[in-house]
Amino acid sequence: MGHHTRRLVVAALAAGALGFALAGPADAQNFTKPVTIIVPYAPGGTSDILARLIGPKLSEGIGQPVIVENKPSASGNIGADFVAKAAGDGHTLLITDVGTLATQPSLVKKLSFDVQKDLVPVTMVMFSPYLFAVHPSVPASSWAELLAYAKANPGKLNIANSGVGSIQHLTAIVVQKKRGIDWTHVPYRGGAAAIRAVVANESNVIMNGALPTTPFVKQGQLKGLAVSGEKRLAQLPDLPTFKEIDMPIVETGSWQGFLASKGTPPPMVARLNAELRKVLAIQEISAKIVELGGDVRTNTPDEFTAWMTKAIAEWGEVAKAENISLD
Amino acid sequence: MDLIGNLATGFSVALTPANLGFCFLGALIGTLVGVLPGIAPITTIAMLLPFTFTLPPASSLIMLAGIFYGAQYGGSTTAILVNVPGESSAIVTCLDGHQMARKGRAGPALAIAAIASFAAGTIATLIIATASAPMAWLALKFTAPEYFSLMVLGLTGAVVLAHGAPGKAVAMVVVGLMLGLVGIDVNTGAPRMTFGIAELGDGIGFVPIAIGMFGIAELAVTLGRPQDRTLLDVKLGSLWPSREEFRASVPAMLRGTALGSILGVLPGGGAALSSFAAYAFEKKSSKTPERFGHGAIEGVAAPEAANNAGAQTSFIPLLTLGIPGNAIMALMVGAMMIQGVQPGPQVMTSQPELFWGVIASMWTGNLMLIVLNLPLIGLWVSLLRVPYRLMFPAIVLFCCIGTYSVGNSAFDVGVMLLFALLGVFFIKVGAEPAPFILGFILGPLMEENFRRAMMLSRGDPMVFLERPISAGLLILSAVLFAVLVSPALRSGREKVFQE
Repeated sequence: MGHHTRRLVVAALAAGALGFALAGPADAQNFTKPVTIIVPYAPGGTSDILARLIGPKLSEGIGQPVIVENKPSASGNIGADFVAKAAGDGHTLLITDVGTLATQPSLVKKLSFDVQKDLVPVTMVMFSPYLFAVHPSVPASSWAELLAYAKANPGKLNIANSGVGSIQHLTAIVVQKKRGIDWTHVPYRGGAAAIRAVVANESNVIMNGALPTTPFVKQGQLKGLAVSGEKRLAQLPDLPTFKEIDMPIVETGSWQGFLASKGTPPPMVARLNAELRKVLAIQEISAKIVELGGDVRTNTPDEFTAWMTKAIAEWGEVAKAENISLD
Repeated sequence: MDLIGNLATGFSVALTPANLGFCFLGALIGTLVGVLPGIAPITTIAMLLPFTFTLPPASSLIMLAGIFYGAQYGGSTTAILVNVPGESSAIVTCLDGHQMARKGRAGPALAIAAIASFAAGTIATLIIATASAPMAWLALKFTAPEYFSLMVLGLTGAVVLAHGAPGKAVAMVVVGLMLGLVGIDVNTGAPRMTFGIAELGDGIGFVPIAIGMFGIAELAVTLGRPQDRTLLDVKLGSLWPSREEFRASVPAMLRGTALGSILGVLPGGGAALSSFAAYAFEKKSSKTPERFGHGAIEGVAAPEAANNAGAQTSFIPLLTLGIPGNAIMALMVGAMMIQGVQPGPQVMTSQPELFWGVIASMWTGNLMLIVLNLPLIGLWVSLLRVPYRLMFPAIVLFCCIGTYSVGNSAFDVGVMLLFALLGVFFIKVGAEPAPFILGFILGPLMEENFRRAMMLSRGDPMVFLERPISAGLLILSAVLFAVLVSPALRSGREKVFQE
């Protein structure tokens, strides 16, 4: 080993020691390597589009590359499990939706991870309401008329949902119990198949994501009755909200959020929260999210945790009362 | 809507240099994967999906569509020259196409296959353009009982069209049906036969099974038959078909196109089913059915026209309704959504450039394919001369990458390899994988629609007979089945598949 080399080694060691000394508390909120966003669904879904939309801007903010990786299968549980078991350093993030975060914990008893214990909520990203519609042959143009029709014609209504245990299904159950409407729940493989079935008049009532359902209502292939939440849709301003028609469950819909692995230090979670909110405040990004059928909805890690706890408890109660289980 | 104006919009999109380039790239890749047995267009499209993120929506769909119909062209080349179908839709092309090659008529067989594909592609493009709206309306007439009856017909057809003993075909359909039941039951949410493996919750993936059984297994068996390779030295001869050959093929092409166009629109239909049906129909309606299997040119023209027409019209439910009819179309939905295009009826009106651009590109793509195929046939053939010891490991690698890339899942690769072994076993015991895969795809749909129909009719099974389309399909299945068990036909059927 030559003199020159030895000096380099010493310098490197010294630099390393210095780096180590400095690393301590500051490191908890700095990004030291590429960040991976895990999407637990196949490419093309809302969570996937959000991740690819947000990824590049997040990368600018944190000064590290951001990689989006799809780990689909098992209703999002495989991808979520991967993040739950990743190192708690804030470099592996999960973006997923209400299904993985609020209903799966109650529906699947043998989950390999605990949504509330093994994942750290960072922030919510978006909320998209549901559109409530019927086939045009159903002689009802409002919720009140539909209730009256169902009473006069028992056994005539079939409400399509995007799968057993989906929020659409659970919401329809709550409405049925609290308002006494008579309808049969018909499960389909996903929202697109459910829409097709109602357009074809196979089933005749639907509650489904506003974005994919709106075009059918605008073209008269479905008749819109109401929109979930408290805000009317800009595209269909004549439709009343669930709040206006006094539905037993108002804020039903789909939402997405970011979570980190268990053990991620609070300063890191705070930094991630701040960076993500910065990205979601960009006009170009929020405009895209409106195109996806929802509104940007951000919150603090504590608020998101509370939101999730409430959602898990609420939907869990419905699932338990109806004895719905997916295992 | 005026057709000319719409097509003009379409061509203004399809003829931009960039889109012509993507169309050519798609057609080229499609031909390549079509020629090479073991690499399916679905693997290729899945593999290329991530690369389309950065393209404009129309360009990415134009390229992916090009791969799909391009593969139908390429598949026939291998079928005729090597007696190995480059694509599953080219299986029947082997029967007469390869016999023609053996008799020194390889050139005309290839030419007719390419011309039939082009003619069908052109007609199918026009059909998609003129009939999109009414076809979409027809698809809406199909509800649960009709779908159930359609699946029954599909599975009966799978047995009737299978090679070998009908008993084996029935057994394969049943095995496929049973494996299709693995996963979470859509009506109750109960997991069935998942053995607690989370990955099996969504069922056994179609891509791993298809790649394992049709990719690796077929190749492994081909490796065990080295004599197949010598057939490559078949003389091409003149490309131009004789006048009689031409006269015999034109009506067959038209019949194949008509049949393929109809079958392509139906869910679960598409290229492979279309070519089987067209071949069976040609043989049945021929005055000289004994020529089939010994180099009848109609046996090349009809299925080749049918598989191209079917491949293209399977875009109708996708483009007009946003409903994928088969696994490849499902990947297309993914490609559209990645681009922020929500598939559905509104695409036609809200994004006419995309809708008509993709349709117009199918015609330019077909034109490119005939140029790619006929003069360059020597190039494609030389590709097949690449020794298997080089090609086989490369294909296995591509199969693994393709399987992995669909879900970024190593589990899927394991499943794929398992089905490759199973596929080899099936072929060795003389049981065909085609009825198996049809059972696997159609079975769960059949069950789902049966139970949904019963749910909607509040438990009354008469619903299947009261609805006219459903009743018609069931009667047709019953007739097919009766014909299958009648001894007279059984001997005839064996003749069809005698090679």
